[in-house]
Amino acid sequence: MPTYELALLLRNMPKPELKTSLKRISHAIFDCGGIIRNIENLGFRPMPYKSTAHGMTHKEANYFIFKIDTPTKAVIDLKEEYKRDVDIVRQRFFKIKEEERKACTLEEELLPPAYREDVQKMIQIGKTQVNRFTYKFKYNSGLDYYPFQK
Amino acid sequence: MKMALFKSFFARQMLSTHQAVLSTIRTQSSNLKPDPDAPVEMENPFKKELKQCILCKLNIDPDYKNYRLLSQFQSPYTGRIYPRHITGLCKRKQMQVEQEITKAQDLAYMPYTYKHKIFLKDPKLFDPENPVRSHRF
Repeated sequence: MPTYELALLLRNMPKPELKTSLKRISHAIFDCGGIIRNIENLGFRPMPYKSTAHGMTHKEANYFIFKIDTPTKAVIDLKEEYKRDVDIVRQRFFKIKEEERKACTLEEELLPPAYREDVQKMIQIGKTQVNRFTYKFKYNSGLDYYPFQK
Repeated sequence: MKMALFKSFFARQMLSTHQAVLSTIRTQSSNLKPDPDAPVEMENPFKKELKQCILCKLNIDPDYKNYRLLSQFQSPYTGRIYPRHITGLCKRKQMQVEQEITKAQDLAYMPYTYKHKIFLKDPKLFDPENPVRSHRF
């Protein structure tokens, strides 16, 4: 089961109601065969912009982050269920990927264009292309003089 | 006079080549004593340190939850994300920062059109006021 991060915004409501809604959310996860690793409460904060959800506009919200493990097929079902939940203002699922450490390529990117690998590749590709931009006059087309100014 | 000089020059040349040949023969025969004056094989000690972008140097992975760090790459006037020629990040990190900023903005962690008032006095990682070329931020 892959690990997901469920970022939720719950509307402004008193604490007992908040508790019941969190319980509801967790039960939904357990019902589709998932586990909860961690719940983080980022507090009751004013939002940087107002947003509407279920016919109500919200300017402040309770920010929560659930770290969960669920089967991949259950993610869509969970999303649909939370979409119907009135208390949830916004919900997003993110898959947690392990970032592979690669070397910084700043040095190569700051080189002058002639020394950069991607520019050299482009030049090589350009050489294989048919040149349709420069027109070369054909001397064997019937005229016995060169019509343009040399 | 000229002929005499020419002959002596040639003779000197022959002697020098003869000496070179002798020296090579001598080194091949005596391998047991290494020459202390010969160059030692080592990595270039004057190699310059590879330039790294600030996030790679400090091994920081941008995260949408860390919206304070991401706000440092946002313009305080328009709320737009500064491009690579201003931030001085490598391609990979710049892409990551941009993706995380859009995530944070979508999740109402960060605003779209301005920068949070409390983050306006954060330390500057780069100088956006003196651009290499004019920008719309």
